[in-house]
This record gives sequence, structure tokens and C-alpha cells, in this order.
Amino acid sequence: MNLPLNMSEAELIIPELIMLAGLIAIILIPNFGDASFRIPLSRMKVPILIGGNRFKLTSNPKLPNRVSLAIFSTAFFFALMQTTYGKVGDTLEVTPFSRLFTLIFTAALILATIATTHRIPARANLNAPKDSDSENVATKKINALIDNRRQVDFHIILIMVGLGMSLMSMATHLFMLFVCIELASLSSYILVAFHKESKVGGEAGMKYFIVGSVASAIGIYGMSMLYLWNGDLSLDALALAWIESETVDPIAGIAVGLMLVAFGFKVGAAPFHLAAPDAYSGASSPVAGLLATASKAMGFVALMRILITVTMPESGEAFWFTTIAIIAVVTMTWGNLAALTSTNPKRILAYSSVSHAGYMLAGLAAIGSGLASEEAMKLILTAIVFHLAVLVVFKFGAFLVLSLLETEGRSHELKDLHGLARREPLIAGSMFLFMLSLAGVPPLSGFLSKFLMINGIVNVSAGTGTSDVSSVMDWVTSVEPVFWLAFAIVLNSALSMFYYLRIGLVMFFEEPENNKPMKDALSLRIAIAFCALFTVIIGIGPLSDSLLQMAADAIDSFISN
Amino acid sequence: MLTILTLTPLGVGLLLLILPQILPGSSADTLRKVNRSISFGVSMALFVIASYIAFENFGGIDWLNINMGEYQLMNDEPVTLISSIGVSWIVGVDALSLPMVWLTALLIPLSMLVEWDAKEGHIFHPLILVMEGALIGVFVALDLFVFYVFWEMTLIPMFFLILVWGGDDRKYASMKFFIYTFTASVVMLIGILIMYFHTGDIAGVSGSITGHHFNLLEMNSEMIQSEGLRHLVWILLLIGFATKMPSVPVHTWLPDAHVQAPTAGSMLLAGVMLKMGAYGFLRVAVSLFPESTVVFIPILLILGMSSLVYGAWVCMGQTNLKRMVAYSSVSHMGLIFLGIATMQPLGIAGALFMMFAHGIISPLLFAVAGAFKHHYHTLEIGSMRGIAHHSPYLAAHMMLGWMGSLGLPLLAGFVAEVAIMIAFWMSFGWLVILPALTLIITAVYYLNSMQKTIFESNDRHHGILPESLHGEEPRDITWHENTSMFILGILTVLFGIFPFIFFDMMSDWSTSFIQDVLLEEIINQGVKP
Repeated sequence: MNLPLNMSEAELIIPELIMLAGLIAIILIPNFGDASFRIPLSRMKVPILIGGNRFKLTSNPKLPNRVSLAIFSTAFFFALMQTTYGKVGDTLEVTPFSRLFTLIFTAALILATIATTHRIPARANLNAPKDSDSENVATKKINALIDNRRQVDFHIILIMVGLGMSLMSMATHLFMLFVCIELASLSSYILVAFHKESKVGGEAGMKYFIVGSVASAIGIYGMSMLYLWNGDLSLDALALAWIESETVDPIAGIAVGLMLVAFGFKVGAAPFHLAAPDAYSGASSPVAGLLATASKAMGFVALMRILITVTMPESGEAFWFTTIAIIAVVTMTWGNLAALTSTNPKRILAYSSVSHAGYMLAGLAAIGSGLASEEAMKLILTAIVFHLAVLVVFKFGAFLVLSLLETEGRSHELKDLHGLARREPLIAGSMFLFMLSLAGVPPLSGFLSKFLMINGIVNVSAGTGTSDVSSVMDWVTSVEPVFWLAFAIVLNSALSMFYYLRIGLVMFFEEPENNKPMKDALSLRIAIAFCALFTVIIGIGPLSDSLLQMAADAIDSFISN
Repeated sequence: MLTILTLTPLGVGLLLLILPQILPGSSADTLRKVNRSISFGVSMALFVIASYIAFENFGGIDWLNINMGEYQLMNDEPVTLISSIGVSWIVGVDALSLPMVWLTALLIPLSMLVEWDAKEGHIFHPLILVMEGALIGVFVALDLFVFYVFWEMTLIPMFFLILVWGGDDRKYASMKFFIYTFTASVVMLIGILIMYFHTGDIAGVSGSITGHHFNLLEMNSEMIQSEGLRHLVWILLLIGFATKMPSVPVHTWLPDAHVQAPTAGSMLLAGVMLKMGAYGFLRVAVSLFPESTVVFIPILLILGMSSLVYGAWVCMGQTNLKRMVAYSSVSHMGLIFLGIATMQPLGIAGALFMMFAHGIISPLLFAVAGAFKHHYHTLEIGSMRGIAHHSPYLAAHMMLGWMGSLGLPLLAGFVAEVAIMIAFWMSFGWLVILPALTLIITAVYYLNSMQKTIFESNDRHHGILPESLHGEEPRDITWHENTSMFILGILTVLFGIFPFIFFDMMSDWSTSFIQDVLLEEIINQGVKP
């Protein structure tokens, strides 16, 4: 028999195989019971295990959560341990780049799983309603049963997200790339709509789904035009064709433009970001955290593939340079201005995530200017990857804090954060740390990534000013416009300080509505503490070094493709 | 040694903040007392260490050995922190930073002492300890990345000091303080990055993926070829440092922050944090880009002069005691710019001594203002008259502080002012009339408010009590407030009579700085040497 996957290839994708096996396992395990099958015409009963009364262990409503935590943790561990790289089939290639992103995705998913532990109520010992029950009691019992049932559904979808994202980062074929993105995206639309505790959940999911589908449709249209142009959608072939064509073919140009719409939606770039704040505020906090970190990282992988791998000319300015530069500036400014006026912490974080997308797009634009040497280009890409990696720590950390609030059914208004410092000093301290890191205050990890980004842009552009001028004005007029992207980032950082500080302010300044400490969600608290710790130690010290080194290795492998 | 000086307060402060939250708590009162004692003890120990570093060889001072380029490196081997981008832990002191380090180590225990009974004391004192670590870090770090990290780190404890323990309008003030200075320092960061980008590979920095490093000792102005770019970097740095100092027109955060901050916060803000601006300016902008400094002397003159005159002029109209002292700080910071603008050894030494003297006198003034607020529940000048009857000690400290600030001979401020004026005369001739006349304004507003507050009461025994006391008799200042002010007062006199304790070292630094780096430029520019 000719297996489609040989052993050496299977070894390369162990994390994904684990997730795939986990997906099957998590569907099966909660259904194990004592059902048996009587062999016809005999009295022999063969236990078939599926169905019947479930065992005590498998009927535990918390089981799916634990299973999915175990799956993601092992996937993370194996991804971390991976040392061999290579091609898998025709459309996948495992590189340090894809491994780093698998780590990012699984880390975000681990945090999401932990955060969910205390969010969706899981109760053991539930009974089906009896005929004698009144209508109210019956409804309650049914709702509780549904809650328990949702546990499994949520985690099944979560694993599908993980699988889609992880495969997506290895795709070397545009079609594969798109299929994986859609697998992850469609699952994430469902996750957004999963927040049934509030009315906005379904609406947000629907909105996100419609806008997302339209964006995807546009992207697929663009992809089909690329196929028309080249006849082969593998990234290598596209890149080769791009280099060979001397001028940008209109069809190809339009095709790439259309695909930018799809990927721009994924990263939350203006003007395609409009559904994002609704989706974030409608979704439960763990899911919103997932959208802000893993989903964004996925969008950036796609953007980097299409912009850097395929359409970046060997020398000179890329044709998308002006577009991306303008989008970057508009995105960061719009995000920050909109965040200033929001009063919903999730919306604030959503807009802050939009502005962060702007910072990273500015980095891409600096590469597109064609001024960057290979070294500078690597530096900027490293900065982007590093930023995506550390976002998991502090952006998700902030959403974890909101998850903790959400266990009380709150976190939709700024006043839910009031006086958090009185009630929970450590949680409030961590939240403040996350805010400062988002704002880019040293020595936190957010500063290091923003620093690398600005450094990359300055590095590319500061050398372009004529060197023999003696007055400041002459130099300023002679420098390439890319230099001002760095200034845009700086001004926007200052602008963003307002709303990040406001969150700190209400936590430490305002009176809380009640003084009770919050729910004793131990695993969530530990996760928050971990995030806070890593926010600090990735900012300065040996760990930041090794993460930077990982990012640099990833980019090396990304470039050499 | 300097590493200990920096990291101990940071570590101990953070531990004191976090540990009680995790461990099962004892009563709030015990916790407050324990945290207070530990913080104070640690800060005193650090003061002893700092004094040892400062006066190690006081008997046979060889100040000439401490000058630019010959840092006293306390670490033999710089420790690499983030090798990928060339960050390492390099600390050292010279005549520029040593007085500042000593000043910080001195002011921290004193400011703790002033607010000995602060509410929420289990957080207050550790927070000040964290502040000490960050402040000393700014002064000893010789790696620009680490420098910037500490620079921003000072914001966080100060933000909380104002936000939690401040006055009625503390929310606005703390936000304004944070955003103003943060914005300015991010602009400064661009300047630092341009410098960073122009550093070459040097030995000792390996594995840097960017191929550059932040080591301040290895930087010089020649690394940036374009003169225009050098000027741009200088201006970006100036924006960052001038906002911290602060200089007109970016000074508006200071009065708000000062008025709202608790006494200890004000003392540290005026005593050390403002000096960070002047220190950074001298350390980075002036030292590395001397010829840009010479080119931009007019800008420095305008900034310095407008701060000096505007600050003093606005002081005359203030009715709020703390606001007045805050604006007088703006005015004195203007003098520092003027001292640097002279580009004379004496002028720069004067500026350095002004940093130090103002670092002793203004905390005294803010301690006085804080005690005034604490016991009379008002800051309005003129609402309370005849303090001398009620709180003779407070009146004495107030008088001493104000006299020091207006530059009375034999007090610390005088030395600095005279040095700057002489250098100013040497560089700019009769223009010296302007700053000299401003000193008269200074005298006017101080004497005016002194008269209104300390004396001028018809009733010899009671004075005129402010309405905010609701007819109660005010209490005299407490022993810890008194101790703290007394020490500051003594030092004001001491450094007025024996300025050479630090002044010699400073003038040696500035002489060698001018000789080594500037002689050629000055001759080229045609400025009188």
C-alpha cells in the first residue's frame, strides 16, 4: 500500500498530527459509555463503548477542556522540540518560520483554553427534566445540559482553528494557504457567535461572518486572476514569474490588490477593520484574545507570503509600497483615535490591536520602499515576527484579565474595571503591566518589539538624507518619506498612551462597585501571572535574546525560500 | 557597587509590593510599619554606600582623575543583556553623575521621612524605593538602551505617587505628567536610534543581528557623517531632555504635577527628576555633539532666557505656594541652559553645581510647602500670616529655603548663580544684565511671600489663621518633618560655605571637557576662548 504520508514526513508535522488526532479524540471521548451490541441469535454482548450510559469519567463536563489543553500543550511541546525541517508533500514545507508560528498559535490556544475553563459553566450531576417539573425548572435544567454540551463543541472548533492556522503557516501553495485560512476563519466566526450569554454575541458572529466571507470572496477572486495570469499558484512559481515579467502585469497587479483586501481584513487594517471591534466586543474574552493574537498573526503570515515572497522585486520599489504605507498610517491613526472614544474595554483593546497592525504594516511598507538592504529587510521582518510572538503574552494577558471579569458576567464597560486595584491588587497590577507593554513602555516586551520596528525603519531611511548638507532643514527635505513612518509610529504611541493610561487610571483611582474579591479561578490567575512574568522577562534579559534569535532564524528560512 | 546601588532598591521595592499580596497577610498596620522600616533601612544603607563611593578618598582628593572618558567603572566586565541588538549592562560614574547619585541616595530617605505616616504606607514607601532604583539607574547607566529603560521606568512610580496620594485634581495631573514626558522621550528615542544606527561593530559586541550597539563610551560625533543629521539628532535629544527639565514652552506639566503630587513626590520630582533632563542633555547631547551645541547656542540662549524670565515673572502672580515653587524651578532650570550655552568651563561647572544646589534647596522648599499644607490645610499665600508664632521651626526652614533659592551668599544657590553669571559675562558681555535683573524678580516674589506668610500679623500671639482650619489651633510640625528639613537646611549652608566639595570636581570635569573636545571648534567658530 502506498501511504500518502511516509514516516519521515510524518515526523515533521507531529504537532499538526497531534491536533488532528485530538480532534477525533475529542469527538469520541465524551461519547464513551457502556453500550453493548448483542450478537444476533446469541446472548453474547460485545461492548462497543460508544453510546449508552456514559462512564463517570467521560461524562465529566470539564473533560473536553482538559483534553484540548493536553492536546495543545503536547503540540506546543513537540513544536518547541522540533529540529528537523523539510517538505511535506507538494504544498507544505516545515521551516523554522512555520514552527515559530505554530508555537505562537498553540500558545494562544493554550491560553484560550485555560481562560475558557472558568467561563463556560460546567456542572456535573445534571439530570434531564422530568414530567413533573414546572416549566421554569425544566428550562433551567435543559439550559444547563446545553451548557455542558457546549463544552465539547467549543473545544472541537478551537482545535480546528489550531489545525487550520498551523497548516497555513507551512503552506507553500497559494491555494493551500487559502483553504487553511478559511478553515481557521470559518471556525473563528463560530467561536465569536458562541458567546450566547449576551445578545450581542450572535450579532457579532453574523457580522463578522458576512464581512469576512465577502473579504474572502474578493481574495479568492484575486487568486483566480493570478491563476489566469500564471497558471500555477505555488509561491515559488509565482515569485519566479513575477521576477521574469519586467513590468507589473495589470491582471497580476489587480489580483494582488484584491488579495490584500482579504488579508487586510484578517490583520484588521483600515478600512477593512470595521467589523473587528464589533466582533471583539461581541465575542467572549478568550475568543477575542484569539482573534487579536493568533488570527492577526495568521493574516500577517499571508501578507508576508504575498508581499515579500511573491511580489517583492529584487531591487527598487515594490508597486504596493505607496498603498501599504498609506494604509499603515491610516490604520494606526484611525485605531488610536477610535480607541480614545471607546468605553468598552474590549473595544479599546480591539482598536489598539488595529493600531498595532498599522505599526507592523509600516514595517512592511519600509521594506517595500526598496531602500532596504537584505540585512535591514531581515531586521524589520524579525521585528514583525517578534511583535506577533510577544503580542500573545501581553495582548492575550489583557484579555485573560477581562475573562476573569467575565466570570462575573461583566467586562463590557470601563466601569467594570473600576477599583480593580482595591479588589485584586495583583490582577490590576498585571493589567497595568499589559497596558504599559501595549503602549511600548520599557523595559517591557512591547517596547522591545516597537523599538525594533522603529529601528528598522530608521535604519532603512536615515541613510538616505544627503550627507553633505549642513542644516537640519536641508537634511529633512532630502530624506526619503519612509523616515516619517517612524515618526508616525512615535506620535501614535503618544496618542495611544491616553487610553492605555485611562484603563490604569480607572483601576487605581475610581471606587469599585463592590469590594468583594473575584472568583477564585486558580488556573486563570496562574495564566495571568505567567503572562505578566513573561511580559517583563521577554523585555530585557536572556529570554528576549533567545526569542529574538528564534525570530531571526525563522526569517532566515523565510527569506531563503 | 553601582550595580548593587541600582538593583537593590528595585528588587527590594518590588518584593515588598508583591509579597504581601501573595502571602497570607498580617494586619494592615503591621504590614505598613514593616514595609516602612524595611524601605527606610534599605534606603539608608544605600545612602551609606553612595556616600562611601562619593567620599571614598576625600582626604586626598584627586578629582582630576574623575573626568570625561575616565569613568569609574564599577563592573570590570560589562554584562551582555540582549546580545541580538547589542545591549549590555555598563555602569559608571564621573563628576557629572556622582553628585546626582549621591543626591538621589540622600533625598530618598529624607522624602520617606517627610511622609512617615502616609496613608497606604505599605505601598508608599516601597514605591519610593523602586523610584530610587530607577533614578540611580538613569545616572549610572552608560548604555543608551539601559539608560532609556530607566528613564521611562521613573515615570511609573511617580505616576502612582501622584495618582494615589495626590491632591484633588490628581487624575488630570498624573495623566498630563505621564503623557507629556512619555511623548517627549519617544521623540528622544528616535534620536537615540539614529545614533544607534550609525554605530559600527566593535569588539565586545558579538552576535548582534543589527550589527550595532548602544555603548555610550564607544560613541562619538564622527560616527554620523552628515552634519545636518547630527543637528537633527541633537534637536530630537533636546526635545526629550528639555521637556523633562522642563524648559518653556514645554513646561506646563510641571506646575500641575507639583501642585497635585504628595510632598515626597514633589521633593523627588524637583530634586532629582528634573535633573535627569539636564544630566541627559549634558551626558548625551552636549558630550557627543559639541559642535552642534556650539551651532545651537542661540536656541539654548532663547530657551534658557525665556524659562528664566517667564518662570520668574509668573512666580510673582502665583498665590499657590507649591505653584510658585514649581515655577521658580522652571526659572532655575533656565539658568542651567544659560550655563551650558556659555560653553565656558566655569559656566558648565556652574550649571552642574546649579543642578546639585537646586536638588537640595527645592526639596527643602517642597517639604516646607508640604508641611504647610499638612498642618494648615491650605497652600494659599497670604491666607495664613505669622507662621513664625505657631511653627517657629517651619518658619525658619521656610526662610532658609527661600533665601537659598534666591541666591543669598553663603548658601548653595549663590555659588552656582555667580559662576554662571561670570561665565555669561565672559561669553556674551553685557547681555548678562538680563539674567541678573531676573534674579531681582526672584528676590521680589520670595520676599513678598515671605513677608505675607511668616510675618505680617497684627496679633503677636496668634497670627491670622486660614479659614481652612475652621478656627482650630494648628499643630506644630512633627519630628520627622523637622528632621528631614533640618538636614536639607544644614546641607544648604554647608555647600554654600564649602562648595568645593563637589564644585572642584565639576569644574575639573568641565575644564577637561572644554579642552579636550571643544578647543578646536571654539577657535573655528570664532568664539572667545
